Order: sequence, then structure tokens, then C-alpha cells
Amino acid sequence: MVWLSVLLAILFVVVAPVLGCLITGADRILTARMQRRRGPSILQPYYDVRKLLEKDARANDVVQVILLALSLVMLVVAGVCLYAGANFLLCILLETLSSLMFILAASVDPSPFVQVGVQREILQVMCCEPMLLLFAVGVYLYTGSFSVSSLFSTNLPMVVWLPLIFIGLVFVLTIKLRKSPFDIASSHHAHQEIVAGASTEMSGLSLALIEVTHWYELVILMSWVGMFFVTSNPLSVLLAILAAAVVFLLEIWIDNSFARVKWQVMFKSSWMVALVCGMVNFAMFFFIDSNGLVFF
Amino acid sequence: MGIIWFLIVFPLVAAALCVISRDERLRGVIVCVSACVIAVGSIVLAAQHLGGTARYYAFSSVAISVVLFIVELALCAYIMWRSLSARKYGVFVLACVQALLACVAEFGPSGSVEVHRAVYIDTLSSIMVLIIGIIGSGICVYAVGYMRDFQRHQDELARQGKEFSTDRQGFFFAVMFAFLSGMFGIVTFNDLAWMLCAWEVTTVCSFYLIGYTKTAEATANSFRQIWMNLIGGIAFATAVIIIGVTCSVMELDRFIAIGALAPMAAMLPVALLALASLTKAAQMPFHTWLLGAMVAPTPTSALLHSSTMVKAGVFLLIRLSPLMGVYVSGLPRMGINPVGFSVILVGCITFLLASLIAVSQSNAKRVLAYSTIPTRGRIVTCAGIGSAAAVWAAIFLLIFHACAKSLLFLCVGTAEHHIGSRNIEDMDSLITRMPKLAVLMAFGICGMFIAPFGMLVSKWAALGAFVNSGVIVIVIMLAFGSAATFFFWAKWLAKIVAGDPSAENVEGSVHTTEWCALGLMALLLAACSIFLPAISSGVVTPYVRQLTGGVMRMPSAGDLVLMAVCAFVMIAIPLVVALRARSIRRGDGHQPYFGGVGHGHAAFMDSMGQQVAYTQRNWYLEGMFNEEKIGMIGTVLCTIIAFMGISASVGLAVVFFGSVI
Repeated sequence: MVWLSVLLAILFVVVAPVLGCLITGADRILTARMQRRRGPSILQPYYDVRKLLEKDARANDVVQVILLALSLVMLVVAGVCLYAGANFLLCILLETLSSLMFILAASVDPSPFVQVGVQREILQVMCCEPMLLLFAVGVYLYTGSFSVSSLFSTNLPMVVWLPLIFIGLVFVLTIKLRKSPFDIASSHHAHQEIVAGASTEMSGLSLALIEVTHWYELVILMSWVGMFFVTSNPLSVLLAILAAAVVFLLEIWIDNSFARVKWQVMFKSSWMVALVCGMVNFAMFFFIDSNGLVFF
Repeated sequence: MGIIWFLIVFPLVAAALCVISRDERLRGVIVCVSACVIAVGSIVLAAQHLGGTARYYAFSSVAISVVLFIVELALCAYIMWRSLSARKYGVFVLACVQALLACVAEFGPSGSVEVHRAVYIDTLSSIMVLIIGIIGSGICVYAVGYMRDFQRHQDELARQGKEFSTDRQGFFFAVMFAFLSGMFGIVTFNDLAWMLCAWEVTTVCSFYLIGYTKTAEATANSFRQIWMNLIGGIAFATAVIIIGVTCSVMELDRFIAIGALAPMAAMLPVALLALASLTKAAQMPFHTWLLGAMVAPTPTSALLHSSTMVKAGVFLLIRLSPLMGVYVSGLPRMGINPVGFSVILVGCITFLLASLIAVSQSNAKRVLAYSTIPTRGRIVTCAGIGSAAAVWAAIFLLIFHACAKSLLFLCVGTAEHHIGSRNIEDMDSLITRMPKLAVLMAFGICGMFIAPFGMLVSKWAALGAFVNSGVIVIVIMLAFGSAATFFFWAKWLAKIVAGDPSAENVEGSVHTTEWCALGLMALLLAACSIFLPAISSGVVTPYVRQLTGGVMRMPSAGDLVLMAVCAFVMIAIPLVVALRARSIRRGDGHQPYFGGVGHGHAAFMDSMGQQVAYTQRNWYLEGMFNEEKIGMIGTVLCTIIAFMGISASVGLAVVFFGSVI
């Protein structure tokens, strides 16, 4: 089993950026089609990054590049943990650390647009955090450990027992993926009132690093969705991929159908969703299978 | 045992010397030498007992009992005198009750109970001795330089005709040392009556230190501290009397042994002792005294938060944790322990609500206070759960919090004296004006919320322990609370990294003693982080096994990965801050984008050709995380829970003794 973990981890490091790049390309085409445009080639994100790397280095600060590189490294390690079947809490913690590094990298720029973007980024992390921790607790309650590999020894997919946690996760994924109505800190579309938010001042290498980080992040986030569908049956992986694809299509549809909301709405709704989903789902868990849980 | 008595008596000698010496420089030397002696003494003592089995000394002394009793009465008399002269009659009444209870404990039936083993030392005590002896005396050293600046500032105020404090530095240092002596007593006395006296010593010392400046605000806050802690003291004294009468013992270890055999019999005293601990640990509804303590000079805050006052509260709770586990056999009604359950809920609600309030604070000292309270909350919750993993987490929270919080307080104190502000909004100039301090501050912040303290212990171990406890509602509170924690630490850290290039370096005037203390705290934090696996396997895990009988599997492979990552981040962020300080000094960077014509880094041209300055503030979301509103909710909820816990334990005691009689 060890060699399988190592193989999967290596596979993640190599394949995830390719996959992330392709998914991002597909996202842009689908979004364009929904808006009755033709859209770019599916490899456009790759061309973008290649061009960014060719630009002269004019990074605001060498510190910024270091922090962005750290952000990327943290995220890659998070993915490695996930695909090696290691502790899931560790994966979530590393993902948060990666966000922190990005926030610090952006805060180096004195521009007011960036500083507002930074505050909004921090707020977004605060919005997502409770749901993600409850997701980890859900994994623990369901399998009896935080280890991701234990999901592959279950008979039923986790979504059957934790449906509300799943819904809550899909909700915060909209924030994590920077999609409307929650693209408050920064957006992939050119309609943001704080320009590009935290990345306004970045160019060349800095921006390329962010793009690559997003590719990895996309794959990790979609894998979290897939975690709800895997069982001891190897074929369940196909189901997980299908589910991730459906969720991603849903996110694109949401992105194109909703207007951006104010941060107050994002904050209140995300915490409310986490609270209700967590409470109700764990209560269900308790009533159906009470193994010594006290629900107060 | 000689070293224990040395550690208790020597600080008192140092205190006397501080009062006698009139010369500032001589006093500085006395403080530094005494601090070193205390630190060495505590290291020698701890080295003999860390990780070993508990050592109880067959020792009792009527003379010491009498002396301590007189000390306690004297303390009560001091409070009575102060409260009368300040016309705080409520406090006067409480002090009278306290004195009365002390007399009852001494001359009543509990006074005649024989004590055989009055002094002890075990691993937890050794850890506390190290924290008090090294961090506490480190803070005393820091205070030498700090108080010099502080007094100069007060003299300045006096010249301007404003409210100021007269030079009573001798007493200030004396009380600091007396405080350390009291703390050594709390952690090594097995005789409950002696422990009660030491408990009162710390209460009164912090009363004096908070009210040191004698301004109206300081006096008001010191009286808030004293009435809350007198309630705790009264609960403690009552518990001692009840233990003496019902269990016929006066020793903490024998009481815990009896409590483990007959939980019903020990329920009421445990509830009262837990109440006393909660007041000291500044849990809701008693959290306001710790916030009020912010008016005192910074060394006081650092001492209260990191190594003394609040530590005494959680120390006692961890001691009592075997009696507080949620599930205790031999209880009616589902076997839920009302004391353990109330303690868990109070700790958890305090953790959640205080973290939320911290989001809205811009005063650095208040942010630190509102992060101490939730950390205590987490320790209290862990102690209430009482499982092996929970106690393990509680002890590590105790250790890391002591190092990181003292470092941060000392950083904020020094920054305040040199940049003239303790507001986080002004911390962006820190990186140019005091680059070294900025690096240390970033290190302290990382110590608080990333490595390994924040992430490993609080989320990993505590979350696991909380889920295993089966009380799901506390897991949900933990999830929301730690999200808020991220918000307030991340924006502080971002403020430091952001930097303001238009300032000059003012670091030269920081006193050497301050640098020594800051360096010591940073070194301790680094050492604890690096040697965490060793401390865990060599010291904490064996102790947890003795205490709870449970085995703690730490560290596993996953934990090692996390520790490596945390250590990496912990080094990386301060390094990045140092690099950032250098690049600002060299004037790197470019004209930022303003959506118009920019002018320098903090101004732009408006459409009329006027130059307009812009300022940028962090978000504090005061509307949503309103301090008063949330504080009120916490006070009401926790008061109700505390009452429920106590009345349930009174009920259990009545049922139990009714059936016995």
C-alpha cells in the first residue's frame, strides 16, 4: 500500500497542474458559451502562464515572490497528503496556510485596491473555515479516523450519511473557487470594483505563480467533492469523478446566473449554512447511529 | 524539598531588597541577579522531577500553618482597608466573608485534620515551576528597562499637570517577586489550607499591580479584579472547609483519590474549586477583570497572562481533571458529571465568544487579552473532558501559550514606548522603525496561531479529543472559534508585513534588559517548538498516563509531517519579515495603482489637481462582532451554566449524604 500512496502522490504533483489547466480552459469556454461568446482555446490558461513567465521580472518585491512560492508549495503538500491517503485535517490546515501565504504576499503592495482585496481575502478564509473543519469532523465521525485512505474501506459512499455536510461544502466551494455571487476579493471576470483585488499589483512571475496555484487548488477542491462518493469498490472512483464534474458545472452555472453580493451576505450565509448543516447532519448521525454521542 | 522552600522564600527576600534599595540602578542589579537565581533554582528543581513519578514529602509544620494563616488574615485586612478607603463596601463585605471563612477553616473541624504530606512535586508542578521561574523572572528582568521608561513618561505627565503615577517602582518589583513566590506555593503545596493562602497571595498581588498607577481607571479595574477573585477565593475556602469536614482530609492528592472512588461525595467541593479556577482563569462571566488589567504597565499584563494568575486557575483544573470527566461511573441520570459538563460548556462558550470579540479589537493589548481568554477556554474544556488526549493538549496549550504570549506582550510593550501607540493600525511602521522587534512580533504571532501551538495542538489534538468526548456541540463551537482566530491574527500579521516606508529607525533606545527578555522568550518558543516530540514523549505523555491511565499515541507519522511543516512556516514567516524590512530600507517597490495619478505611496491627485492623502484600515467588523453584545451573551450564558453546575452538585451532595445518614 505504501508504494500506491507514493505513486498517487507523485501522480498528483505531475498531473494536477495539467488537469487544472484543462479544467480552467473548459471553464472559460463554457462560460463564454453561456454568454453566447465563442471563447478561447482550451489551452488558453497555459498560453497565459507561458506569456507571463516570458515577461521581464518587475516583481514589486522579492518577498512577494517568495511568499507566493510558499503558497504554492503548501498547496502541493496539501494535495500530496490528500492523495497519499494521509490525515485529512492536515490537508485542510495546509490549504489554510497556503491562503495565509497568499494574503501576506498581497499585503506587501501599498495600493488601496490591494489592501481592500487583502481584507476581503482574510474574510473569505474566515467564511470557509468552519465548514471545512466540520467536513473533517464528518470524515472522522464516519470512518473513525481523519485518514483519507479509510474512506476506501467503506461500504456506502459518505454522501449517504453526510448529505448536508456535502451541501455545505458545495456552498463554500463557490467562495473557494472565487465564483459569483462570492467573488468578492478577486474575480476571474473584469467586472470587479476593486480591479483584481489582492493581485492588482502583481505581474509576470507573481501572477504566473498564482495561476499555477489555482490549478492545483482546483484539483484539490474537486477531490474533496469526490471524497463523498468513494467506497471500497474501485469503480466508485468513476462515480466520484462524475460527481466532481457535475458539481463543477453547477458552480459555472451559479457563477453566470448570480450577481455579486456584499461581504455581509457572504459572511452571514456561509456561517449560517455551516452551522445548520453541521448541527442537523451530526444530529441525524446521532439519531440513526448513536455510538455514545451526546447531542446537547 | 529544600529547593522548593528556597523558591518560595528567596523571591520574598528579593522583594524586601527591592523595597529597601532606593537607587534605580542598584535595584536593577538586584532584580536581574534574583531573577537569574530563581530561574536556575527552578531549572534545578524541574530537572530532578520532570517526567518522573510524583514525589510527596512527609512534612508538616504547625509553625508554617500559623504563619500562613496570619498572612491570609493580613491580606484580607489589606483588602478591607483599601476597599474602605475607596468606599467599595461590596468588596469590604466579601473580604470580611473571606476572613471569616479562613478562621472557620483554621479553628473549625477542618482545622484539626492532620496533614502528613504538605509539599509535593510532580511533572505538572515541574512544568509550572519552569514557566514561573523562567518566564516569570524573565518578565521581571524586562520590567527593569520598561519601568524606567514608564516612570520617565509619568514624570513627563506630571510636568504637564496631567494625571500621573508617583515613583513606587521598589514596591512594584517587590510585588512582582511576591507574586512568583505565591505561584510557587500554589503549584507545590499539597496542604489545601496552605494552597488557599498562596491563592490569596496571587489575588492580592495582582490587585496591587493592576491598581499600580492609582489613576481612576486603574483603581476601578483593580476593584473589579478583586471582587471577582474574592468570589473565587470564597469558593475555594468553602471547598476546603467542606473537604475537611466530609472527607476528613486536607491534602489535595488524598482528596482526589477519595473523589475518584466516591464521585458523589466529592462533587460539591470539586464544583467550588472549579468555580475558583474559572475566576482565576478569567473565563466568562469573570473575563472582564483580565481586560481591565490592561491599564497596568505591560510587565504586569505579561505576568498575569503568561506565567502567573490565569495559569494558576488552569493548573488547578488540570489537577482536578480526573474528577471532571464527562462520564463518571456511580452517578445517577445517564452518568453525566454535572461539574465536568458545566466546565466544558463554560470553557467552550468562552472560547467561541471571546474569539469573536477579538475580531473587533484594534488595541493590540486587548487583542492579546481576547486571545488569552479563548486559549484558557480551550484548556478549561480539555481539562473538563479529562481524557488522555485532552489533558495532553491542555498541558501543551499551557506551555506554548506561556512562551508565545509573554513574547507578544513584551513586544507590544516595547513598541508602545517607542512608536507611541499600542494600536495595530500603527504597527505598519514597526517594520521600518523597529525591524528586529517586528521580526520577533511576527514570530510570536506565528507561535500563537500557526506552529505548533495553534494548528497542531488546538485543532489537531483538541479537535480529536473533542470529537471523542462525544459532545458534538463543542466541536462546532471550536470550528467557528478557530475561524475567527484566523481572521484577527492574519490581519495583524498582514499589517506588519505591509510596512510603511516613510519612517525612521528608533530601535537604538531599547534597553538591553528588554532585548534580553525578548530574546529569552523567543528562544523558549523556538526550543519548545523544536523539541515538541521530545517533550511529548519524555515528559507529558508519561504524566498523562499516570493521571488518566490512558495512552496518548503522539507523535504519529502524520503528526511529524505536520510538525515539520509548522516548524518550516514558523521559521519562514519571521525570515520573510526580516527580508521585507531590508527591501523597504533599500526603497524597493514601485508606484502603486490608484485608478488615477498616484503621488508617492499614500496620496493621489484628484480630478481638481489636488493632492489627496489616503489611509487604509484593517477590517474590524464592529457591527457584527460587537464587544458589548457578545460579552453580554457570554456573561449571561456562562452564569446560568455555572449556577446549574453548582446547584446540580449541591443536589448530588444532598442526595449522597442523605442516603449515607
